[in-house]
Amino acid sequence: MTSVAQEKQRFWLTFGEELCQRPIICELARSFALTFNIRSAQVTQRTGLVAIELEGEREVLKQAIQWLEKQGVTVEPVELSTIEG
Amino acid sequence: MQTEFFTHLRCRECGRPYPPEAIHVCEWDFGPLEAVYDYEAIRRQISRKRIESRAPTMWRYREFLPLEGEPTVGTQVGFTPLIRAERLAKALGVREAYVKNDTVNYPTLSFKDRVVAVSLSRAKEMGFTVVACASTGNLANSVAANAASVGLESYVLIPADLEASKVLGSLVYGTRVVGIRGPYDKVNRLCSEIAGKYQWAFVNVNLRPYYAEGSKTMGFEIAEQLGWRLPAHTVIPMASGSLLTKIAKSYQEMIDTDLVEKTPFAIHGAQATGCNPISDAFQKGTELVRPVSKPQTIAKSLAIGTPADGYYAIQTIRKSGGAAEDASDEEILEGIRLLAETTGIFAETAGGVTVACARKLIASGKIPREGSVVLCVTGHGLKTAEVLAGVLGSPRVIEPSLREFDRLVSSDLAETPIPEGPGA
Ligand SMILES: Cc1ncc(COP(=O)(O)O)c(C=O)c1O
Ligand SMILES: [Zn+2]
Repeated sequence: MTSVAQEKQRFWLTFGEELCQRPIICELARSFALTFNIRSAQVTQRTGLVAIELEGEREVLKQAIQWLEKQGVTVEPVELSTIEG
Repeated sequence: MQTEFFTHLRCRECGRPYPPEAIHVCEWDFGPLEAVYDYEAIRRQISRKRIESRAPTMWRYREFLPLEGEPTVGTQVGFTPLIRAERLAKALGVREAYVKNDTVNYPTLSFKDRVVAVSLSRAKEMGFTVVACASTGNLANSVAANAASVGLESYVLIPADLEASKVLGSLVYGTRVVGIRGPYDKVNRLCSEIAGKYQWAFVNVNLRPYYAEGSKTMGFEIAEQLGWRLPAHTVIPMASGSLLTKIAKSYQEMIDTDLVEKTPFAIHGAQATGCNPISDAFQKGTELVRPVSKPQTIAKSLAIGTPADGYYAIQTIRKSGGAAEDASDEEILEGIRLLAETTGIFAETAGGVTVACARKLIASGKIPREGSVVLCVTGHGLKTAEVLAGVLGSPRVIEPSLREFDRLVSSDLAETPIPEGPGA
């Protein structure tokens, strides 16, 4: 039996005004074979900031992030900028 | 004598305690972890006199730094000059101005030597043999040099299109430099994956709680050099916002341990207009920092579009009664020249940002004209000399003839009369 390695990645998701009303996370859950764990969320009328842990196969994770970005969500690793001046 | 004052790490969001390991975010809410100390023990142990008796380096504030033993890397770093800048004050329109001059920090001429000294000392304590960072300049230089000085192996990751002069400043130390192709956000994401996967001491990622504390020493030094008092106004350049929050923390720690009197200190933040997520959020009155996806400024050392400590920087500025400003490329260049012409200090673009923003903060009354201000100048001008190409003009060339030289000087004299010297 071969099993594909599962990976866990942690992100900050930022939603703009246009996306705040849409159930993005729910859509994401339906479309990708990933486990979710929302660790914190701050939502105002104009922006949303969600701390989320995603677990799944590396390729699926990649696709999910691409999908989120296509919807207009900003996806940042929890480290935020690792590149400094 | 007690030597351990640093006790553990704690989440800035929920307050959960963590052991002092190579970790940087809270498992629970991803909040950043911060070093915690036994301030009561520190207060009993130190005094102004005791600190003054120690060597003039950043380690004279050893009790406030998150190590278990004595520092082993960067033992000569810090205690850079604080100079009273009368002519700069006049030009800025303020009663009194000081420059904290980290352009001459040892060994790589920027304030990053402070944070790297702490993180590499901690990395050695924890038994790491490979240290790493992702950087476009100053941090890379400092990691490479300080690692070389103690024989640690180092990896420096950079965007592949970085200017040759920046790359040289790391390569020379024999570090392993890896250029990564692609847009900035992709490079950034890969670097955070690498940091997660390899068991290396990534100075500004898994060692961030230790690294960041090094910035406090700039604040301790300022207060000591002012004669053990806090400056009423401090202007600080911001990239991730870490330096700003840590200088504020250092002032508070000095109050809490009776090293200085409790007096108000306003903390002001400075960014480049072409990458101003923190100052923009401050000015809009929000704490939600909007990422800048394509930074466009000559102040590359400050060009972080998604600042890790942006939220805390805004809170610190607000709580202290400070403000945030940003400066255009043109204003940055003017700032560099003004600083050089009035103080003899040649700063990199980040220093131009500080000077230009200080000028605006004074003009708008956020820093009162009758007040006193400290400007944090954090990196040397030779590191970004190319931005001045074409701005400064060039030397006038003459034939080897005294007559030509006389002609040149008399035309100068016609412009600005030079005061007569003793031999005239
Ligand atoms: C010269 C210089 N000044 C200031 C900063 C700001 O540092 P921080 O990320 O702590 O805000 C940097 C960071 O790269 C820098 O290189
Ligand atoms: Zn927490």
